[in-house]
Amino acid sequence: MPLINMPEFSDRLLDEFSGRGAVRIDTPVIQPAAPFLDMAGEDLRRRIFLTESERGESLCLRPEFTIPVCLRHIESATGTPRRYGYLGEVFRQRRDGDNEFYQAGIEDLGERDVAKADARAINDAVQIIAALLPGRALSVTLGDQTVFEAVVRSLGLPLGWQKRLIQGFGNTALLKQLLLTLASPQPVSGLSPDLLALLKQDEAALIAHIDRTMQETGYSTNASRSPREIAARMKEKLALAETRLDGAALLLLSEFLSLELPLTEAAAALAGFADAAGLALGPALSDFEKRVEALAELGIDLSRITYRAAFGRPLDYYTGLVFEVTQKGDDAVLVGGGRFDRLLTLLGAREDIPAVGFSLWLDRIEKARSR
Amino acid sequence: MSTITIALPSKGRMKDDASAIFERAGLPIVAVGNDRSYRGRVEGHDDIEIAFLSASEIARELGHGSVDFGVTGEDLVREGLVDADRRVEIVARLGFGHADVVVAVPEIWLDVETMADLGDVAADFRSRHGRRLQIATKYWRLTQQHFSGSHGIQLYRIVESLGATEGAPAAGQADIIVDITSTGSTLKANHLKILSDGVILKSQACLVRARKAEHEANPRVAEIVEAVRKVF
Repeated sequence: MPLINMPEFSDRLLDEFSGRGAVRIDTPVIQPAAPFLDMAGEDLRRRIFLTESERGESLCLRPEFTIPVCLRHIESATGTPRRYGYLGEVFRQRRDGDNEFYQAGIEDLGERDVAKADARAINDAVQIIAALLPGRALSVTLGDQTVFEAVVRSLGLPLGWQKRLIQGFGNTALLKQLLLTLASPQPVSGLSPDLLALLKQDEAALIAHIDRTMQETGYSTNASRSPREIAARMKEKLALAETRLDGAALLLLSEFLSLELPLTEAAAALAGFADAAGLALGPALSDFEKRVEALAELGIDLSRITYRAAFGRPLDYYTGLVFEVTQKGDDAVLVGGGRFDRLLTLLGAREDIPAVGFSLWLDRIEKARSR
Repeated sequence: MSTITIALPSKGRMKDDASAIFERAGLPIVAVGNDRSYRGRVEGHDDIEIAFLSASEIARELGHGSVDFGVTGEDLVREGLVDADRRVEIVARLGFGHADVVVAVPEIWLDVETMADLGDVAADFRSRHGRRLQIATKYWRLTQQHFSGSHGIQLYRIVESLGATEGAPAAGQADIIVDITSTGSTLKANHLKILSDGVILKSQACLVRARKAEHEANPRVAEIVEAVRKVF
């Protein structure tokens, strides 16, 4: 048994990072917990190691690097574009595997040429894994949130339904359930006939009614949702209730979600799908093509990459590309990556900073190397 | 043969109701020393020991396996223990201490009747209000299971609340609550309503057994299980 936990290929990795223009960055192990719970959701709570400062501030052991790196970037206000490389321990309660393990990766912040940055992230990840696991057959899976959003938008559904579907992207079970619901109408329940009439005829009166009730019940001082917001969503809900996705559109959506093919054929297949369905996917499609071209320019073997239309991550800061690298015929994800254009502003950056990155699971890579 | 420890609620109606059940099961409980003692025994069974503990401690001790049986609310078992079903067995539901763990929102949220509605509101919350939807609760595990597990809702924050949770929305500490209710009157008094699919757990007092390997060879364990089950 080695007495050092750090993977023996760490130095090589760091060389790879700096050779690819990434500046080494370190972050505190003890982090404020709020940004992680805010971004990744409460699900993370049972998987992180939480503690409290003497003043009652919620702290946690760093469960991953992307958020700390972005926070550090915002804090240091160093300007963009910038590539960061990190390597260090992260702490998570896992069912299988240790609770503390090493992760390394690159975060590419502020590169405006999105196709180029996406392609570079995938290429870097694949080349690094190939160097660490020489001779192994790798498979890369790619997904694209933007394409799914474009398909959903072009189906002509009410906004509320679009939002629900987009929110469910990446969560197969939830999406399936949503499609089932869409197939049958959902009556609005729980409203008195008077309110229903107000809703249909006189929105101003409805808002006034809500406002009055809030005043009377002493709720208005601290009410987070305003009467206007509630009334607006009631209208949206009424629209949802009256919508029923027709069979053809439902079939199209299912057909799209079942697309899975080599990246060499993906752009043409998507264009064909959009044409046949009469959908205008616009820039989502041309951006997809540009990314494929940029990948080809880097000399990566496109037939090794599989595009899977349903592949995504159900978190609201992921915006475009997602990808994963595994060994062929093995489920263990060795690298996970993606685009998170919304994350930096959510974390407090003042300007929009496009961002893409990937993270290497060093313990899994180590295991693969020893086999 | 080793002694069997049964943990019972240490005070209030829960204590009386639990004692009554054991009495009817032919296992009358007597306090050791005086009435306020936290130890007891079962008349005629020297190999059974009674420990009077607080209800939430009972769930925890069952999880550790430091007691063999316990009477406590199912809500506390499911909230307090990871993989509850693997670690403990619910032997019998005892018909008292009824309470539901529910998702409740301000009554005036006329547009929110179901978890799906709540999911829509939560998804938009940050862009409208600059923060996630906040849920006041002391049941964070049950909340997570219901929101993320059963309804795919990820985007919310839990605000820990150890008491008077129903007051949190009006006080501005949180937007909605997950709490326990038996009659719903406190919710109503605070102008909150339960979502139509917002009942997370219908809880009541249960006799719970810690899953311990040595129980299989101990006939007394089977006897206690049978005696209590017979009451119902």
